[in-house]
Amino acid sequence: MLDRRGFLKFVGGAAVGTLATPVVWKGLDDLSIWTQNWPWIPRLDKGNNLNTYISTTSKLCPSACGMRVRLVNGRPVRVLGDESNPLSRGGVSALASAEVQLRYSPARLKRPLRRTADGTFVAIPWYEAEALLRAELVKAARDGGLMCLSGDENGTMNELLSALTVAMGSSDFYLMPGEAQTTAAAWKSLGGRGRVGYDFARSDFVLAVGAGVLENWGPVVGNRRAWGRARPQDGEPAMRLAYAGPVQNNTAAGADWWLPIRPGSEMAFLMGIAQLLFAQGCPSAGVESFAELAAVWTPEKVARATGLAPERLQQVVEQLAAARAPLIIVGTDLGQGGEAAPVILGMALNTLLGRVNQDGGLRILPEPEPVFPRAMSYGDMMAQDFTAAVRAVADKKRAAPSLLMIYEANPVYAMPRGAGVEELLGSAGFSVSFSCFLDETARRCDLILPSAMGLERFDDVNTPFGLGEIFYALCQPVAEPLYESRAAGDVLLDLARLIGLDMGYATFREALEARAASLGLDWAGLMKGECAISRATLPLESLIFPSGLIAEALEGRFIQPEKGALAVATFTKLAFGTADSAIPPFATKLITDAELTAGELSASMNSATIRELGLREGMKIRLVAGEMSLPARVRAFEGVAMGTVALAAGFGHTNFDAFNNGKGANVMDLFTTVEEPGTGLAVWRCPDVKIVKA
Amino acid sequence: MSATQEFRIKWGMVIDLDKCTGCGSCMVACQAENNVAPAEDGLNRRRALNWLLVYRLSNGKPFPDHDIAYLPRPCMQCGKPSCVSVCPVVATTKDEEGGIVSQVTPRCIGCRYCMASCPYHARYFNWHDPVWPAGMEKTLTPDVSVRPRGVVEKCTFCHHRLMAAKDRAYAEGRDPEKLPDGAYVTSCTEACPNGAISFGDVNNPEHKVHELIKSPYAFRLLERLGTDPQVWYVSRREWVRRLGDNYLNNEPTKG
Repeated sequence: MLDRRGFLKFVGGAAVGTLATPVVWKGLDDLSIWTQNWPWIPRLDKGNNLNTYISTTSKLCPSACGMRVRLVNGRPVRVLGDESNPLSRGGVSALASAEVQLRYSPARLKRPLRRTADGTFVAIPWYEAEALLRAELVKAARDGGLMCLSGDENGTMNELLSALTVAMGSSDFYLMPGEAQTTAAAWKSLGGRGRVGYDFARSDFVLAVGAGVLENWGPVVGNRRAWGRARPQDGEPAMRLAYAGPVQNNTAAGADWWLPIRPGSEMAFLMGIAQLLFAQGCPSAGVESFAELAAVWTPEKVARATGLAPERLQQVVEQLAAARAPLIIVGTDLGQGGEAAPVILGMALNTLLGRVNQDGGLRILPEPEPVFPRAMSYGDMMAQDFTAAVRAVADKKRAAPSLLMIYEANPVYAMPRGAGVEELLGSAGFSVSFSCFLDETARRCDLILPSAMGLERFDDVNTPFGLGEIFYALCQPVAEPLYESRAAGDVLLDLARLIGLDMGYATFREALEARAASLGLDWAGLMKGECAISRATLPLESLIFPSGLIAEALEGRFIQPEKGALAVATFTKLAFGTADSAIPPFATKLITDAELTAGELSASMNSATIRELGLREGMKIRLVAGEMSLPARVRAFEGVAMGTVALAAGFGHTNFDAFNNGKGANVMDLFTTVEEPGTGLAVWRCPDVKIVKA
Repeated sequence: MSATQEFRIKWGMVIDLDKCTGCGSCMVACQAENNVAPAEDGLNRRRALNWLLVYRLSNGKPFPDHDIAYLPRPCMQCGKPSCVSVCPVVATTKDEEGGIVSQVTPRCIGCRYCMASCPYHARYFNWHDPVWPAGMEKTLTPDVSVRPRGVVEKCTFCHHRLMAAKDRAYAEGRDPEKLPDGAYVTSCTEACPNGAISFGDVNNPEHKVHELIKSPYAFRLLERLGTDPQVWYVSRREWVRRLGDNYLNNEPTKG
């Protein structure tokens, strides 16, 4: 019979016994795991945990990062740097790092879309889209009215697009405006042949004027790898860097010297360097006109134009003179729509310093030979000016195209509001966009075709802009194209065949194989991630300094902004996308108050400028230039030149995805296009702005 | 604060602040590697989690004498971690060879004592369930569990990579407790295009970091709190080093 005492003993014993076993603790542990195990939390798909790696090259990042893509059970999950890549050497940009995840961007196009009469889009099957485009191509072939714009910077795809354009009786093939065209125009003005590259990695002193060599200019990951290796943590730097620009940006953050100069005063700065070099005995034989022009640009005069103290200019010239392999790189922060005249001066200074075709200098590279019959040569492509063509259509100086074909470019967002792109799209007979994303330009086209991303197709990179060597690498698919997207190259080759054009290849891969063969490269090696590098150069022929052009470009410049007006400087971060893409979902956490303040664009000014204008930090303002205006908020940042307001580029998307839309404003709303005096190049310029309190 | 536990192996990170240009490649690589969900509004501190965050530093001088630096901040994996001693459920510990402060999220009850005690703000609380855009969950790596709302998370020095490196050593017949330099590095170390981040066993003379931490320009954040961090920073700029700790006006800067 169980009495009370016995019962209590039993209960107590059971309690102690239970506690002595792992049951309670294991149960609690299981419970805690179970409470975190909800069906809406994504589960990890471990499968048999089979890891494979495929080497390829980024088409998203303009620096052509070599990537090792990690796949788990066939799913791409990570982009890792490829140590064996001779250019990026294991480094990977913030943009390329997010490329696998960007495949699933909410803005990704899933299927072909056709605009209906009421302006909305309907999804159509590929065969219908192809039939529609085929009919438009036949019409355009008849009247020679095809205009084609490519967002690709350096691939064989441009040859296909230009060959198709030419085969259809048109010469209207254009690349999105970029530094490459500006540099090519500058080189042409000097009478140079071939293409120009900068041997950043072998230089021991780089003077970057406007060019964000550590953030967004040229083969930036390769630049940064070389710069990082030249600056060991436990030793003295083997490379020094000076950056001249109006904003203390990421390149200035890494530079040994930041030389703050006013926006648009690059030419005065470069003329000042020339003046000091000539004064210090640099031989002027053959460039007498340069010496003559430079003579008046004393450090004091340069200081008035740039705001840079004379002794700092002197210091730069001393560094250039003392360096074993100095190099001057001139570019723009935006990387688009820049003026050629400052680039000409940069090239002339490199020549003056005897740095042409030298290790660590400016190098003249041979142009690639096209593999597509009828394709435009590299030089011809560079000479095509899309900004000027758009302007001509908008001004009704030339007929609108009957068919406008846009390949992976977003000019509606990335070109100045006043450039006339909207008018071009409105006046074109029919417009089609091959795009990975439903972006601002695609939404204004009549037909949208989903393009496979760089990780889902065969493509290539043939010497990224700025590199001082010939470089070739292959991009190969690491996964099937998502949804119904297809590689545009193959779609176009199919269509060309159907309308009776022989492009020479049945598939785009065949064209790439022909390219590899023409370069003497092993296809199997390229598929393994091997790259080709050549240090071949073209001999330097006598260059002619275009003194008239430079004199014209200098005329009427460097006028101080009127009272209360500010010069505008932009700064760009590669992580926030390029002209053809947008902020990847994984990069929104990189946004800081430097870019946005309370959801609006930060208008960064130094405290003296803020005081002078009677503003205060956080204040809502509008930047007004004529009829154009931009909302922003005042931010105090001492890394901005006097009388200047700094704005982040890459924001203000209106039609992309939730990671982009409604964030700040698009600086392109302030820009306009003008003809550069001297070169006639259509360049982008932002007028001085007035601040209006909102 | 916990008593010091000495380890034969001490995984440490050395970040050269003079080489960091603030590009954010490390932050992106960290998110992708550790299955941290993206945030539509990256500035919303209740939504955005960062195991690694890049801070912008200023020398505080007006134009034109202004200077700028960037400071990537992972978990410091402190030798005397203040978070460990306050955790009531042993969800965060420092008891494994190598000295990495663990974070066992299934055990975490979300009290956030560890967050309050961490002087580096390296810990983040999941106020919401993580959300990936439709389909993007297919890019999750199989290495790091996804954390639900209600728990704290932080950088683990990519602990799964250490496990993988040890597995590889076992498979190849090498001693997993004697990993060569570079056999185990974090995702941020690997991604940095500038090579600003170095990683290794600071106790092992064969590892580069062993020497790097002896630099006169090396310092640790808030060193005088006594947390004994396993992350070192290097800068030749005096003003950068001075921002690393709470110096009195008349005190000289270390290094």
